[in-house]
Amino acid sequence: GFASSSAADLKLQFAPFSSALEAGFWHQLTQKKLNDYRLDESPKCIKGYYYNGDPLGLPTRLTLEFSAFEVDGPTPAHCCPVTGTLFNTNTLDAFKTTDKKALLEKEAKEIWDAIQSGSAINDPSILCRFILLTFADLKKYHFYYWFCFPALCFPEGIKIVQPAAVLEQVFSAKQIAALQQAYDELCVKRGTTAVPYFLMKYTADTVQVAPLADWDAFVTDTKKVTIGVYDPCTLSQHPGWPLRNLLVLLANRWGSKLDIVEVLCFRDRTLQGNRSIQHSLIFHIKLPELPLNSACPKSVGWEKNSKGAMGPRMVNLSECMDPKRLAESSVDLNLKLMRWRLVPTLDLEKVVNTKCLLLGAGTLGCNVARTLMGWGVRHITFVDNAKISYSNPVRQPLYEFEDCLGGGKSKAMAAVERLSKIFPGVNAVGHNMSIPMPGHPVSFSQATLSQAQEDVEQLEKLISEHDVIFLLMDTRESRWLPTVIAASKRKLVVNAALGFDTFVVMRHGLKKPPATLSVSAGPDSSPSCSSASSSSSTPAGGAASFSGSSLFSNIPGHKLGCYFCNDVVAPGDSTRDRTLDQQCTVSRPGLAMIAGALAVEMMVSILQHSEGGYAVASSSDDRMNEPPTSLGLVPHQIRGFLSRFDNVLPASLAFDKCTACSATVLDHYEREGFSFLSKVFNSSHSFLEDLTGLTLLHQETQAAEVREESEQSKMGGENPSVGLEKSRAR
Amino acid sequence: MNLSVLDEQKFHYCCQLLVQQSQQLKDGWCWETVTSSDEGYLKKIIVRTVVIGSRLMWNHESSRTSSSFHQKQEDQMCETENLNAEADGDDEDDGLCTFSESRSLVLQYEYHIVYSYSYSTPVLYFRAFSLEGRSVSLEDMWRSVHPSLRLSLQKNRLSTISLQEHPLLGQPFFMLHPCRTEEFMRPVLQDQLRPMNYVLVWLSVVGPLVGLDVPLKYSTQLHLPG
Repeated sequence: GFASSSAADLKLQFAPFSSALEAGFWHQLTQKKLNDYRLDESPKCIKGYYYNGDPLGLPTRLTLEFSAFEVDGPTPAHCCPVTGTLFNTNTLDAFKTTDKKALLEKEAKEIWDAIQSGSAINDPSILCRFILLTFADLKKYHFYYWFCFPALCFPEGIKIVQPAAVLEQVFSAKQIAALQQAYDELCVKRGTTAVPYFLMKYTADTVQVAPLADWDAFVTDTKKVTIGVYDPCTLSQHPGWPLRNLLVLLANRWGSKLDIVEVLCFRDRTLQGNRSIQHSLIFHIKLPELPLNSACPKSVGWEKNSKGAMGPRMVNLSECMDPKRLAESSVDLNLKLMRWRLVPTLDLEKVVNTKCLLLGAGTLGCNVARTLMGWGVRHITFVDNAKISYSNPVRQPLYEFEDCLGGGKSKAMAAVERLSKIFPGVNAVGHNMSIPMPGHPVSFSQATLSQAQEDVEQLEKLISEHDVIFLLMDTRESRWLPTVIAASKRKLVVNAALGFDTFVVMRHGLKKPPATLSVSAGPDSSPSCSSASSSSSTPAGGAASFSGSSLFSNIPGHKLGCYFCNDVVAPGDSTRDRTLDQQCTVSRPGLAMIAGALAVEMMVSILQHSEGGYAVASSSDDRMNEPPTSLGLVPHQIRGFLSRFDNVLPASLAFDKCTACSATVLDHYEREGFSFLSKVFNSSHSFLEDLTGLTLLHQETQAAEVREESEQSKMGGENPSVGLEKSRAR
Repeated sequence: MNLSVLDEQKFHYCCQLLVQQSQQLKDGWCWETVTSSDEGYLKKIIVRTVVIGSRLMWNHESSRTSSSFHQKQEDQMCETENLNAEADGDDEDDGLCTFSESRSLVLQYEYHIVYSYSYSTPVLYFRAFSLEGRSVSLEDMWRSVHPSLRLSLQKNRLSTISLQEHPLLGQPFFMLHPCRTEEFMRPVLQDQLRPMNYVLVWLSVVGPLVGLDVPLKYSTQLHLPG
């Protein structure tokens, strides 16, 4: 009737396998390639498996995992093993040019031969096989691959006589239970947990199953033969791929005797501990003739790629396999742990993306660099002109004895090399260059002058390109030029300097952006009226400043002093202006680590503040108050006294006669550029002192000097020169 | 016998019982041994489709490089495609069932239960990857969690997930940090009269946080025999 004529048009279609590779498979292939296969391209036997218990909606998968290379190893319970052949090529070109059609036909021929010889009846696992063609690019951790699941085809397809129905519509509950029991018994008898193909007979009350090899004894009625296939597909109208070659086997061996074949697609899933097989499919087909001794039928089976096109796939596993990428993600995650566990509001992106310029790659530079790396900072640039000497490695943790040989490597370059060894993900650059200094003339010849100009330009460029400038040199005067340039470019400066057992770590005041500078130039140039004003720019500090009433509390970032603000002499030749900087090589060895670490931690705290370098300076008095950032205080200075194992957090105002950051100096620098700078380099310190008005100040205060000194010392080490000079003298 | 502390021997015993129950329930847990050592771990694999909405997650990657990597990967695939068009011969395979449904993202989740000597507790390691074997990043993993659930998970201190090297396999896995395990297990296991399966109880607490269901049927054998 109508039903049969419409059914006659229906051809059986099979859901193809989707290859599913576990990450462990690629790890193991990499190991095999490196240790066993090397350049050997010969085919290798590997193993995958498929499962008939997937929930609805999952693709029919053939899975290869870590253990794919252990062909004799165990298969996961209730899964069917599949043997395959791995062709791993040495080059991408070989991968591309491999004759895929020939590979498929060769494999299909083996299946066909096994069918014809009858050996497939005793070992039907030959019916379901795969080919895997791979190329492993182990430099990039790119894996190219293409699966093939060879299937022999009937030229005219397979006619469906009765379309698929779920088992529970065809079988009674009793029959279903009997089937389940019979299947389980067959598994036990065969010593496995899954049987890929089986024969089946049933009555209204009983179900019997038997292996394919028992055909002659088991199949008594060839009018209707029922064949069971362990079916990995979850589609409601289609069987999975494993049935395909089985039908070829049936047609070839018994086709002439068979009328109708009933197929049971055996599906067996357990959800929440409840097992069910009643969603298995059952349908009837009419097998076409496929006589013995006929030629090998057409074969298909190469897998389509993710775009649905005939082509290979590629997976990039550098993220989980490249040790360098692994190191990067581990470093990141380690930092994120800090956020997840302890400081939920920590903005790591800000820290990690900060570009840091380290002027000086000595004891301080090495320690600052290591602490920056600890914070995940990726962009680190060193400037130093020194070579590594024999005394350096014990105190400068980026260098080794070997680095001192043959006159010593350049510190800037060696530091970069070492950072990359410690963490390949770092973006470190070294500049072996000098920083021109006041009182160190550059005008000996045209060559020295143009070299100085080149150095200044390079330093200006570097400062422009970075976010935070660390001053970590061993002379005071070498800090002058970067202080001026960074102040002019409104870059955050973190300065660290060492005495014998004292140190100062400070942030320079960050001048307001040039546009607003002209407006606030008046109040800025007179430090005496500073603490009460400026509530507009720092609302948090405004109210407190009235109650605090100290001259040194609640100073907003733009009014803070620089390293030179507390000095009453201009930087010059250090043989005359002896300050703590020169003592750095005779500092207590732990001091550079402490100061270097604090310099970085100060930077990180500043970055966490919503106002960054403009943040109001925290002082020692703020230690009991609500901290302004998730990490705590943002001081102006940290002064450490190792003899007392004590730190204080002073804050001081910018000095309008400062030889580095005063408006006068910045104006001259911005207007005259190198010609102004060269005057500073070539002149004695009186040039800057005259320019800024320090000379006048000296004259005016000469008489009162003794009184002033004693007052300053009462204020408890807030003047760096006084406090540190004293401790050094001790 | 202090049951809130788990020694390795007891861990193995609990795992063994759990595997037995899992076999009965066909829940997929199996004991994996590491070659060249007598150590091992419990393992379970679950394959899941991720809903269409989060399919976007592959394009939204926050990390600097991954999305461009993905693009490059596609491009290179095209390049190799052209050279391989004729692998199957000219004819279309009419026995192939071509389903036109929009293929949602299928992820394989792999869960491991490993004993931690430092914490004397079980630790849950897991990872997820595409059918190609590409691992899912932690960010993507979070994105694949339902938004409402995600919020409560992130608040939950138990659910601190980080990437760690698998102690037995040396491969990167996500890990639920065990620093609070002892703390939350202590009250549960104070019943000295009817000792419970530590691993099972623990798993029923931490499993659901990372999408791992523990069927209620396990609870019929919650207590240790004898």
